[in-house]
Amino acid sequence: MKLFVSEGNPHCLKVLAALEVTGVQCSVQYVNHEEKVVPFLSRPVLPALLLPSGLHLFSSNAICRYLFEVSGQESSELCNQWLEWEATDLQPALLQALHMAVLQGKGSEVSKVLQGPLKFLDQSLTKGGKPYLNGDTVSLADLVLWAALYPVLSDSSLALGEHKSVNSWFDRVASIHSCLSAAQKVLQGKGLQGMKSYMQRQPAPQSNQCRDTQPCNSNPAEGEEGER
Amino acid sequence: MALRELSSLEKYLGLKKPNKYSTQGDKKVPVLQNNNGPPLLGLATIACHLVKEAKRPELLGDTAENRAVVQQWLEYRVTRLDSCTKEDIKIILKDLNLYLQDKVYLAGNQFTVADTLVYYGIHPLMVDLAVQEKEQYVNVTRWFDHIQHYPGVRHHLPPVVVLRNRIYTSRHH
Repeated sequence: MKLFVSEGNPHCLKVLAALEVTGVQCSVQYVNHEEKVVPFLSRPVLPALLLPSGLHLFSSNAICRYLFEVSGQESSELCNQWLEWEATDLQPALLQALHMAVLQGKGSEVSKVLQGPLKFLDQSLTKGGKPYLNGDTVSLADLVLWAALYPVLSDSSLALGEHKSVNSWFDRVASIHSCLSAAQKVLQGKGLQGMKSYMQRQPAPQSNQCRDTQPCNSNPAEGEEGER
Repeated sequence: MALRELSSLEKYLGLKKPNKYSTQGDKKVPVLQNNNGPPLLGLATIACHLVKEAKRPELLGDTAENRAVVQQWLEYRVTRLDSCTKEDIKIILKDLNLYLQDKVYLAGNQFTVADTLVYYGIHPLMVDLAVQEKEQYVNVTRWFDHIQHYPGVRHHLPPVVVLRNRIYTSRHH
């Protein structure tokens, strides 16, 4: 089993943290952002995990899930839900935020694009009333969300506003040694600037306002669906 | 769209009592009202819940590796397929075509819930493909045709016509 990662790639932070937390035996190889590791994907995608069967996993969340499962921790439905939310809601906002902060020097505007997801996370943590997303112990969901948010939440210059529950949860996960050590490996202590070369190679994100090309799955009849 | 998929999945799984759903937000994310706990949010999450409810764990993958592969394709469905632009479509079809070259199903030799959801998600793309394109993405087309004929899967979707003699060459018979 072999894990391919690149420096400055925020998705690699997740998998390195998961690897350290679970203690799964796996060799790690650092490659360039452009390295085509997954043979069937036209664009280079990292991180990637080469499984014992010869198959590649190319989704950082699926890799984390696998590492947790082989170390004996199966994910719950609540975990599934957080991972799906991370991929569909948080990631698009984060991509836009990082693009603004790292490449356009518009750190002061980042707060706007992240307010929605941060508020949702804050409310869920407050309502749950538990130290972690899934209850009293740290889970796959905490690790994935913490790593995804680390670049923006660890940078105090972004002024993301007061999200009390998010902030205390974030510090709680950060106190796990493996998490911070993974962050150090990926960002090299350079903070957001440590991601510059990675961000320069990413396609510009579609902002919500200028998404004029219709998603291919849009369906005019969709409005008719309500509760069954 | 998502709610119709979940209803089709329920029928495929043979769940007798239909669940109660609603949607949330601009993107109409499906929400399952759960009697035994808090509501569940998200197409992939709910689909996995239904599979568990129907006691068909093999549909989530039979090994740790396959379970990760299934989750990866479910994520691919709700991220890449659900927000793809015209430019993305070619890349998605090309990548899937290469991936499926040596596979019967997305998780190898075993049919899983990933096949169902990726099939539902890719259906609008396949409807628009010209005959020549279907031949160009021959592995996707073969897989798609296989899934749409898989007993009990298609339900709410119209069948897409595939010239089977071009896809299944005489060698395979």
